[in-house]
Amino acid sequence: MASTTSKNPNAMSGDVEVRKLQVWYGPVHAIKGIDLDIKAGSITTVLGANGAGKSTTLKAIAGGVKYSGSISVGDELIDILPVHKRVEKGIVLCPEGRGIFYSMTVKENLLAGAYRRSKVDYSLVFDVFPILKDRLNQIAGTLSGGEQQMLAIARALMSHPSYLLLDEPSLGLAPVVIQKIAEVIKEINASGITVVLVEQNTSLALSIANYAYVLENGKVALHGTPSELLKSDAIREKYLGGVAK
Amino acid sequence: MINQIILGLSTGATYSLVAIGLVMMYKVSGVMNFAYANMGMFVTYLIWWLTSSVGMNLYVSIVIGIIFAAIMGVVVERYGLRPIRHLSSASMLIVTFGILMILEGLAVQIWGTDYKPFPELVTGSPYVFRGDFGIFVLRRQDILIFSILLGISLALLFFTRYTKFGIAVRAVSENEEIAGYMGINVGSVLAFSWGFGASMAAIVGIVAAPKVFVSPTMLTYYQIQGFTAAVLGGFETFNGAIFGGLILGVIEKLVGNYISEGFKATISLVIIIVVLIFFPKGLFGKNVRGRV
Repeated sequence: MASTTSKNPNAMSGDVEVRKLQVWYGPVHAIKGIDLDIKAGSITTVLGANGAGKSTTLKAIAGGVKYSGSISVGDELIDILPVHKRVEKGIVLCPEGRGIFYSMTVKENLLAGAYRRSKVDYSLVFDVFPILKDRLNQIAGTLSGGEQQMLAIARALMSHPSYLLLDEPSLGLAPVVIQKIAEVIKEINASGITVVLVEQNTSLALSIANYAYVLENGKVALHGTPSELLKSDAIREKYLGGVAK
Repeated sequence: MINQIILGLSTGATYSLVAIGLVMMYKVSGVMNFAYANMGMFVTYLIWWLTSSVGMNLYVSIVIGIIFAAIMGVVVERYGLRPIRHLSSASMLIVTFGILMILEGLAVQIWGTDYKPFPELVTGSPYVFRGDFGIFVLRRQDILIFSILLGISLALLFFTRYTKFGIAVRAVSENEEIAGYMGINVGSVLAFSWGFGASMAAIVGIVAAPKVFVSPTMLTYYQIQGFTAAVLGGFETFNGAIFGGLILGVIEKLVGNYISEGFKATISLVIIIVVLIFFPKGLFGKNVRGRV
């Protein structure tokens, strides 16, 4: 894939370190001290049941929720940066439930994604999603579910991120589309983008990830490479929904 | 009849201008600005004071007034509304009520309650057209108002379709949180919408003042009619606001002429109720919604 067409000059590089992350939603203690190490260039997946704090963790890294603790990229702390500054630095969240702008055209969605770029460059997006080229002037709300998810990922890619945070990209999609999304994620990662993937679809996530964290009630219950996690039957039963080896 | 319609369109164009400002602020920040009319009133007073007491040129004063309005809008949003954004839109609504009262009180304190004359921006004899359709009259002030409305509509259309910031404005109005994740600075879009809205209020004040005179309550009726126009248009699109205003102006004029002047205000309330019952998305509202 011709990926490195136009690099983001402000982008950060290096591993992402999350330390003692805590998030409160009013009285609810959603994240109770999480440590994550996300290796540059890897696909790291964050698994867990509903309400375990997966999405909140991603939002904290993107700067969309208030948190305590520290998040650093390379050796630089990013805690003081507001969400739009983090996008400028190459950290982009692709939100859950697609969250595309339904009333706008595909092209306008992509332009919104490229907001922090001085030059709009579609080449990366059209490499990964050639189908969007024909749909540029279509209203985004009229796309099929799978196309909407692809648009959501494409829109995030328009900022040419170094770190792509994907929140449940397989949600509500047909199995064949999920397979396509998995390939897309691998392709994006192969182009040099670090991917953090939050998923309920455990088997999909473990099949493409280099490293996995399992959250339970706002804490890391266990972590390891997918093969390490899948070794133990007890772990598979308790945390991974009995996914096959 | 045709003259009535033209007069109605002229008044309606002013309502459209009111509605455009209200819709911009509402779309982006989710707050109905009750202080809108008084923001325009206050700026009109300021312009009147600059020309009559300070002796400044009218056009220079107007430019200063519109800039002042934009700054006022930005300041109100940034320091009056944004700190309580996380609470609820009801609490922000109360703040706009407070600003309504503060501005009215200030105007009364500084300038009193007497009606002040305000010059028409264009003067001269009206254009008269004769033909098979009879005779119709086009006042120069009407032409000015139509041109302002046309200019602002086209500028808005271009802005929201083809500029980066315009797309950001639409993105924030559709989904504030996700717009933030795209790298859009939501705060600056919010501030812009209020700056723009307040400038529209000032423009309304300037074009309405020759007719209603400058007084603390000069724009109250325009706020109500602009609100009706926005409801008529669905409160979501600028096209709706523009056509809603024009239609309302014509209806109002025809009712005033053929039924009774006294029904003019009543009719707008009836329109709000009927539209909300039968066309909750407005006459021009889009029913297309994305699949979820």
